[in-house]
Amino acid sequence: MKSALGKITKEACIVSIISIACGLLVNHFSPAGIALVGSWDTKKGVISANEKNDVVVHEREIQNVDAVKKIYDHGITLFLDARTTELYGEGHIHGSISLPVRQFDELIDTIFEKYPPSTPIITYCTGRECRDSHELAQLLHDAGYDNVKVFSDGYPAWKKKEYPIE
Amino acid sequence: MNSIGTILIHNQKIQVVFRFILGITFMAASFHKIIDPGQFAQIIYGYGLFPENLINLIAIIVPFFELFCGLLLIMGVWKGGACLVINMMLVGFIAAISINLIRGYEFDCGCFSGSSSSQFFNPITLLFRDIILLCFGFTVFLSDIQKKSR
Repeated sequence: MKSALGKITKEACIVSIISIACGLLVNHFSPAGIALVGSWDTKKGVISANEKNDVVVHEREIQNVDAVKKIYDHGITLFLDARTTELYGEGHIHGSISLPVRQFDELIDTIFEKYPPSTPIITYCTGRECRDSHELAQLLHDAGYDNVKVFSDGYPAWKKKEYPIE
Repeated sequence: MNSIGTILIHNQKIQVVFRFILGITFMAASFHKIIDPGQFAQIIYGYGLFPENLINLIAIIVPFFELFCGLLLIMGVWKGGACLVINMMLVGFIAAISINLIRGYEFDCGCFSGSSSSQFFNPITLLFRDIILLCFGFTVFLSDIQKKSR
């Protein structure tokens, strides 16, 4: 019985070592690989596993709700809502336009028609646990918009501050 | 009850069925996690239980435990060792689900798909499923111990 348990423990150790080694190796070479340590602290911005070619770029983020409100008050920045149309319908930043990430390809032409690539844009979604705003910002950047920022705290923080919504 | 346990442990056909169920389940669960570790890391974060520094490592390594242990169980090689690892993982899953169930925390199990946030499983169903799998795993483990002790 004791030697049987010893054999099984030995097998389990070998399987574990092989699994750990393969996991690290595949992750290293996989295009979808992630860093060994991710950014999971919401105090530092939108969370991310730090993938290779990660869409979360913290330099794009505006983390202060009041700073976003000041930009909003200037009235020249386009606010794009990256959430689903259902959530947009339930409430959104006043004057913002719905552009869900999953519908980017079908809706981007209407944005292009109305807003030139020089338009300053702020994207937002549901806060720091939501990556859609970053994903949308990256897609817009790739499409030619070079002045795109991300409002990290998103709609819930805006609503909490009782800033204009509709 | 004791005799049911003895039948389950000693009946080779039942043991093969249990091994295949466990093996296929764990192998199937590993694929999407290996393909998209970032999504899996996000799901682990959603459990709200793990230290930030360990989330990515768990996402990178756990799918390979699932894949290799599942494969070994199907092949019938190192059954005891593979089953020991699987049972330990199942105990971990059951603990994680139970804690979140008790504190009323909504989470995505991430078991079989890199699901969108809208795809939440019923935690009771998850718990029930994992307990049944643990029972299968326990009999396979005991069966292998008995074989190796002979």
